[in-house]
Amino acid sequence: MSSPNENNCGYNLMEMLAVSAARVIRDGEVVFVGTGLPMLAALLAKAAHAPNISMVTEAGIYHPKPMHMPMSVSDSRWFYKSPWVAGPVEIMNVFLQKRRIDVGFLGGAQIDIYGNLNSTVIGDYLKPTHRLPGSGGASDIGTLANRTIITMVHEKRRFVKRVDFLTTPGWKCYKFPGRLLVPRDELGMWGGPAVVISDMGVMRFDETTKEMYVDQYFADTGITLEQIKANTAFDINVSRAKPALPPTDKELTVLREKIDPERIFLGRKRKE
Amino acid sequence: MGLKQRKTLKEAIEAIKDGDAIVLGGWTIFRTPMAAAYEIIRQGKKDLYLSASATGTISDMLIGAGCVKICEAAWHGHEAYGFSYNVKRVIEEGKTNFRHLEETTTSVFMRAYAAAMGLPFIPTLALKGSDMLNPEYDTLKDLRGKDPKIAKKRYLEIDDPFWEGNKVILIPAARPDVAIIHVQEVGEEGTIRINGPQFGDIWYAAAAKYTIVTTEKIVSEEFLKENTNLNSIPGEFVDAIVEVPFGSHPGGCYGYHDTDPWFYKDYVEASKKEQTFRQWLDKWVFDLPDHAAYLNKIGKEQIKAITADPAYGYNPNLKRSI
Repeated sequence: MSSPNENNCGYNLMEMLAVSAARVIRDGEVVFVGTGLPMLAALLAKAAHAPNISMVTEAGIYHPKPMHMPMSVSDSRWFYKSPWVAGPVEIMNVFLQKRRIDVGFLGGAQIDIYGNLNSTVIGDYLKPTHRLPGSGGASDIGTLANRTIITMVHEKRRFVKRVDFLTTPGWKCYKFPGRLLVPRDELGMWGGPAVVISDMGVMRFDETTKEMYVDQYFADTGITLEQIKANTAFDINVSRAKPALPPTDKELTVLREKIDPERIFLGRKRKE
Repeated sequence: MGLKQRKTLKEAIEAIKDGDAIVLGGWTIFRTPMAAAYEIIRQGKKDLYLSASATGTISDMLIGAGCVKICEAAWHGHEAYGFSYNVKRVIEEGKTNFRHLEETTTSVFMRAYAAAMGLPFIPTLALKGSDMLNPEYDTLKDLRGKDPKIAKKRYLEIDDPFWEGNKVILIPAARPDVAIIHVQEVGEEGTIRINGPQFGDIWYAAAAKYTIVTTEKIVSEEFLKENTNLNSIPGEFVDAIVEVPFGSHPGGCYGYHDTDPWFYKDYVEASKKEQTFRQWLDKWVFDLPDHAAYLNKIGKEQIKAITADPAYGYNPNLKRSI
């Protein structure tokens, strides 16, 4: 089912996701970014309301101010006029594991009610229907960041009861042996997913049950709560949902003219 | 230290044996030793045990060409240029004896880091809660304890005995036979200067028994010694030096050239099916005697179009979505 907002509202899916994600970043934070949407969101946040954020990428980039849109965490464009560069050994340990990362970005092909993510395979791991890129640094970010922002396309085949492979841990994840679902703090983990942003709305996790619920929905584009429920395979609570604010002209202008004028990511029809 | 062996690419790659454990430097579409990979395929190397973190074109090509038996990797793809279709197909079809082991960025580099430091294993707080620790999904399970190149266990979980008793995951060091990295400058005594991001190349170079360095340019040691701080890897870790300009094409190389969008468009399309990929391999690898012929075939115009602007280290005018 295609989103109605892709054509009617003067902005497309990727733009809305980037704007919503940017708004959740607070000024002064150290933000762990990846390719595509996270980069867009962080760069937009920096240009809009959070000028003092620092970004890192797992390839070793620190506090970049790229002039042109990078297309990889390792792109030469990140290196331009950055104050210091390291490698993955420093970033994943001294930054991430040492709890210096305030917010990390995550995504995936599947997500469940506790915010566990799958970016590894669809189907049985040992004989998959679809092989996906894999974790990269996602699992590490999900385990070690102080909080995470997840971006997803809202479809029933993505918002699943149980992920086919648990790549990135959410609030209740696996303990072995037995593959038991346990609260993440039982495994000694801090952090956890704070928010899920989809093309239909913004979801958060209940303080007590740790289950995903709808916090805001993109009513401006015609999205309804019934649609959100119909596109979620698990029972999702919508009783706390409020209409979300649409992207402002300023946010869209910055995105389109300053951040991704080549439309390398903004031009995509769907988020992968 | 002394002078390092300056070799041709053909000679350097001849040192690799079938079944060798190999680590490749760079990152997805930047500064990976592509020229070395083309030569590996050309020489028909088989059963390689590849360890890579975020890996793209180089693994996709080697796996698609049937050179790899085991790949331990965290991530596959050519970034915005497209997905690693060869890897996808080989795994989904399951027709070959290829095995894939899931890693994360942290686990791959920490295993190489441990190896570089001579440690048998190293602790990490990563991997917890994920299916990376699922014993059912350990695709090397039946080889552990039998194949001397593979660790006896995938991991061990302990409670920290020194402080608060948090769960810590111990992961085995890697054991690479060969490391191959592509860098901007190397001196005749093997001093390496990497410009731009270093990635994990120093750890790979130090971890392996035999390290091959391909470089844009062999320069004088005297020149490199004028700026000690800019030098990345000592000649101590280097075994063979090969001068290969555009040795990471179609990936980018900071300061020298950008990624090649035209080449990628063609490659990604060809990699979607086995038959078209075979044809692609014939055209770009088997029908060409060496890297110079490859560059000739790409042509001056395309090379010029991706050449970096020295003020930026990449080409700011390059249109990458074509």
